[in-house]
Parts: sequence; structure tokens; C-alpha cells
Amino acid sequence: MAPKPLLLSTVALALIAAACGSAPETAERSAARPRGIYAVGEHVFGLDGKPAVELAAAPVAPLAGWLTPAGAPSPDGRYLAYNAWKELRRDDPALSWDDQGIEPGDPLATPSIRLYELASGNDAVLQDGAFSLAWRADGALAYFKGAERDYRAGVPYVGDVFVRPGPDAPPERWSPERGRYVVVGWAGRTLIGYREREGEALDVVAFDEPGRMRILAPDAGLVAISPDGRRVFVEQGPAQGRPNLRVLEIANAAVVARLDLTRVDPGVGTVNYAGDWRGDRVVASSASGLALFRVSSRAIRLERAIRVQGPGLSEPRFADAGRHVVAWASSRHGGVLVDCEETTADCDRFRPLTDAAGVHGFPVWRRNLYNPSRPLQEG
Amino acid sequence: MRIVALAAVLAALACADAGQAANGWWTFKRQTNIDSTLSWKWTYPPSAAEYSRSWRAGSGSSPSECRPAEGWLPAGWYSQWGHWNQYDGSAVRGRVWWLQDKYCRDGVTRRTELFIHSEETASNGQNCTSAYDDPFCWERAADYYSLGCIKLARPSPVADFPNDLGNAHTTYHNYGGKSDHGASSDAYELYVFD
Repeated sequence: MAPKPLLLSTVALALIAAACGSAPETAERSAARPRGIYAVGEHVFGLDGKPAVELAAAPVAPLAGWLTPAGAPSPDGRYLAYNAWKELRRDDPALSWDDQGIEPGDPLATPSIRLYELASGNDAVLQDGAFSLAWRADGALAYFKGAERDYRAGVPYVGDVFVRPGPDAPPERWSPERGRYVVVGWAGRTLIGYREREGEALDVVAFDEPGRMRILAPDAGLVAISPDGRRVFVEQGPAQGRPNLRVLEIANAAVVARLDLTRVDPGVGTVNYAGDWRGDRVVASSASGLALFRVSSRAIRLERAIRVQGPGLSEPRFADAGRHVVAWASSRHGGVLVDCEETTADCDRFRPLTDAAGVHGFPVWRRNLYNPSRPLQEG
Repeated sequence: MRIVALAAVLAALACADAGQAANGWWTFKRQTNIDSTLSWKWTYPPSAAEYSRSWRAGSGSSPSECRPAEGWLPAGWYSQWGHWNQYDGSAVRGRVWWLQDKYCRDGVTRRTELFIHSEETASNGQNCTSAYDDPFCWERAADYYSLGCIKLARPSPVADFPNDLGNAHTTYHNYGGKSDHGASSDAYELYVFD
């Protein structure tokens, strides 16, 4: 499929910017568009050599939320792998399943992983009945595939983790048993992800090779993988006791640093999963906005809390050599991208027009796309 | 335990067979993550008179309903698709009610694996062994936090919380809830609102 020209309406959406939080409205300071790679509906901006591309479907992963990226560029820049979601029947969130006539076992949707090739514009399904993906530095691709293709009402979507050495290579099962898994990123040759249990309980797990899985951090969320791929930065919220952060060695799950969040700026409150680690600095979303940490060999130190008014931020990423942090927030009209300058704590907000139409039944959706695997050079 | 009930509840309690004809449903009013209100409401059709009992309940650790494993239960109507007295899961055990999956308000993100439960063992006991937080022991108010589920308190050897789980369970069975246990699609629903 050839790439389609960028819609003018999409350009207009991307240029809508407003000040966020208490930051002054300085139009001349506003970036022309958010930094990094991001999606607006089915359009993706910021890919190397491409002002914008239109995908066959909007990159979304309803069964994973933002535990994992909605899409990730391959390390060599040739591909964008992304999650797609095809509803098989309408499911109105205002109504119960009974009121909609949805019976146990009814097929509701089909998740899939698609592969967009930048050079050709070819956009094809890589795996039906699958969601969450991770590129390894050598181009191997990991993903979760359901035991059944369709997500069905009242049926936990269990399956296995598979790894393909390359997009065209046959998949190999890495999970030792069926379960609910979410793939997040590679740490060297070890795949990091989640095992999900009842009540959305999450264990951070490591897959070392086919059939071998270890629990790195039970009841925890993954903030980021260290740049060298040897450590993970994990969080625990108040549902698991005293909110805290830890740095763990991936090889043996040993805790090398820990920070009790009840002993730092109370504005931080809790720290959320899906952040970023660059050099010795980690950024994560927090109860009040963003929290930046310094990580040394034995300690985690809160460097700065940036308060951002409005809905909670998700998936913050360092940009512009660490001088900016780009994140997004969920609103009734879709995702809002937020670009914060770290030194001044000023944030620009890129929001969809309130009357903008969505695509394929989804609201106008803005979300950054990234590859959390390490070590890896991102585009 | 907070009880909010109409005066007519007393009369209803006096009826030994009141549960036979009652029609019940849950409501959950979101106030804070650790201090919201779960109610069981019921009527005796065709009468429209409504009766209820309520308990303090928690949900999530954040008011962002779209955050999996963190946000409280999304607003809207839910189907209840099962009830167990001795559920033996890895993270949720004991007396539980299983709820349908739900799109959150962004219309994209689905919340899954949702329950009404407490912190107890599969045999409805308490396993309190560590200094801070045991997953199947109700030790403190922070236990109202959850990853998204609705949680009710219960007594334990280390803390004197009310038996809200037990009372909710009894009320459910006595006033319109199904006597069966296990997975089932039934008419019992939950309404979550602010």
C-alpha cells in the first residue's frame, strides 16, 4: 500500500498548541509540533525521513493500555510495528454487557500486530490475535499471541509469548505456559514484560530463552530499562504497601537501590509505570505530573518534580538530548500531547480540536510511539 | 461500617422470605480511592420502593479510570458474571464477585480482570505474617487501595475493621442476589458513578 498524503485537517490538529498548567502562554516558545514519534489517529509523525504517514489502522492496544507502547520503530528504522484493534461488535461503555445482549463467549474484537515498512509504505498484518510487541537490537520481534484469535466476552485472553528472529522468520514460543502476558521491551537478550493476574495484578517478568521465565518483581510496574540493558527501574503503588521505587539487576533480580516515596516531596505521591531512562536520569509520570530521578550505583534520588495540571500524564519520554520531556494525557476528546522543558518546567500542550472526528470509532487519539528496549539507538 | 438505609429496611429485614422476591443490584459511588461507597440496592417488584445498605469501599490508587492496574473502576453499568465464596486465585481469593471488562472513558482502553473482593484467604480466613502488608490480610486503611477492583474491609487478627465483606455478602444473598455460586451471566448489575 502506498503512503497517502497527509490530510490538511491533521496538520491543523498537530499545530494546535496551548500553554499547560501554570506556564505562561508564550506562543513564540511553542514548538511547531511535539518532539519524538507520535500518532494522531492513524497518522504517525516524526518517523525518520517521513513528515507523516497514514497507517491502515490507528495504533492502539486496548488490552494493554499503556503498559506497553502502542507502536515501536524497528532499531534499523525500516519498520514501524504497531498494535491494531478491530471491533467485531459495538460495545457501549455506558451499558452493561447484559443490556447490550452480549453473552459469555461472544467475540467482541480481534487484536493484531501490524508492520508498516517505511520505504515501500506496505502495511500488513504480521500476526492476528496478538498484542504488545518489542524489537530487539538485532531486529528480532517479540509479541504476545492469544490462544484464540478473538477477544471474547467473559473469557480471559490467555496465550503465549513468541519471538521471531526477523519479521519474516517463523515464531518460537518463549513462555513456559499459557497465561496473560504483556510484552514491553528487551534488555539485551532478555525479554521484559508482565504477567497479569486477577484484579489486574502485575508481575514484572523476564524471559531469558524459550521456555524460561523468571519473576523479577512481583506486584510491580516497569518504569524503564537501563541504557545498558542490565537493570530495571520498577515502581510499587499504595495497593502493595508503602509506595516505593527500586532498581533491580536483571540477571538475578537483586535490589541495588531503593527509594521510599513517602520520604520525598509529597507532591510526587506515587510514580507510574512506562517512563524513560537516559544516562543516569529517569523520568516517570507521578500523581502531580512528572518526576525526575538520578540513579547511581546504589541509590535513587528525586531530582525534580514538575507539576502539570490536568489529567495524569502517561509514557513520558526524554527528548531533545534530555532537555525536554514529552508525554501524553487521556481526555474525553482523545489523547493530548504535552511537551515540557525540563529546566523551566514550562509545558506546551497539543490537543485535538474539540469537534474533531476520530477514526474507526475511536476518538482523536494522540500518543507517543517509542522503543523501550535497551541497549538501542532510537531514531 | 456506614449504613445508609431507608426506614423501610427494618420492615424488610423482618420478613423471613424477603429475599425470594427481591430484585437487587450494586452501586459504587466514587469519592476517593480509599473512601468510596459500595451499596447493595433492592426492590420488591412491582413496588418501586427502593432499599439499600452501604459500606465504605476502595478502588484503584488513582482517579484516572483509564490507567490499567492503577485507576479506579471506570464509570458505567457492569454485568456481574460470577460469584464465589471460596475463590482460589493467585491475587484475589475468598468471597468475590466477578465483573465484566469495561472500556474506560477514552473509549479505547479496556479494563479487565475486575472483581469486588477483600483481602482474605480462599477459606475466608486471614494470613497475617509479615511486618507490613500481606496480600490476604486486612491490616490497615491502605488496604482499601487496589489495582482497580472494588475492595471491602473485614476483621483480622491484627486490625479491628468492620466486617463489611461479610455483611455485603449476607445482604447480597438475603435481598435479591442469586443463591448460586460460580461463573454465571445473571441480571445482577453494578452501576459506577461519581
